[in-house]
Amino acid sequence: MSRHGHNHSPSPSQLSLRVKALESLLVEKGYFESAALDRIVETFEHKVGPRNGAKVIAKAWVDPAYKQRLLADSTAAIAELGYSGAQGEDMVVVENTPTVHNLVVCTLCSCYPWPTLGLPPTWYKMPPFRSRAVIDPRGLLKDEFDLEIAANVQLRVWDSNAELRYLVMPMRPAGTEGYSEEQLAELVTRDSMIGVGLALAATA
Amino acid sequence: MPTLTVDQVDARILKGGSCRSQEVVDAGFAAGDSVIALNINPATHTRLPRYIRGKRGTVAFDHGVFVFPDTLAERQGEQPQHCYSVCFTFQELWGPQASAIDCLYIDMFESYIEHIEGAQP
Repeated sequence: MSRHGHNHSPSPSQLSLRVKALESLLVEKGYFESAALDRIVETFEHKVGPRNGAKVIAKAWVDPAYKQRLLADSTAAIAELGYSGAQGEDMVVVENTPTVHNLVVCTLCSCYPWPTLGLPPTWYKMPPFRSRAVIDPRGLLKDEFDLEIAANVQLRVWDSNAELRYLVMPMRPAGTEGYSEEQLAELVTRDSMIGVGLALAATA
Repeated sequence: MPTLTVDQVDARILKGGSCRSQEVVDAGFAAGDSVIALNINPATHTRLPRYIRGKRGTVAFDHGVFVFPDTLAERQGEQPQHCYSVCFTFQELWGPQASAIDCLYIDMFESYIEHIEGAQP
């Protein structure tokens, strides 16, 4: 999936061939049990992904005490909902407000908060996103993500170059006062938790 | 290299392993301190991106003590040290034509920064 208008990746057939070859090699050389590979795939397909993060954000929107804990000790508050583990050991949640918009990037590679967002999208790992996010984030958001940040809103870019992993808390959309936590979670997109998008608008 | 088993997958993915260190280490910096990122160019592993080297910023907060990836990658020990969120303005990074209000936060290990002489916190 590319948002840059041209492909950065090999075609799916080449890619799946490469994956099959790698899988065979890893198993035949004894690095992995075949079942262990299946378990990894199953974990990231069904257990770990951006719906986890969406539940964290929705809870913070409806529960002021939880939001306070989430901003004060993000790792512990996220673990309250059962989300923890690799690439989420030390979390920092940053809050969007009417005057601040946050954007997360890993300029050095592709560090990403797995327990709350799953594995990163391809574009997140590619040099065009990683370099422009720090040099020209407003242009990047406008051109590649149709997201224009008002001139009077401060843009804060978080480079997760070390061991901390960042999750953006988007603003709660207007008109969602009567929404349940579950309904709110449906509005929290992966992109809004990276900072390349906003939460979806109320549907009612 | 031992074969990865199903049980180990759950432990590694669902439990993970923090790089936070339990060692007690003094913090050389505090929130509000004016700092400059060292202009160093190691040929080995580092988490200090080139675009930050030599730039001036302000310590935003202290993340606590973490093992130092630069030495760990070279098998020269953990050298646990504080890691700080440091804020750099876009004008400091990219010059006067850059946004006057935007800023970049990046995590700087103690070894990457030094105090700016004479700067008022």
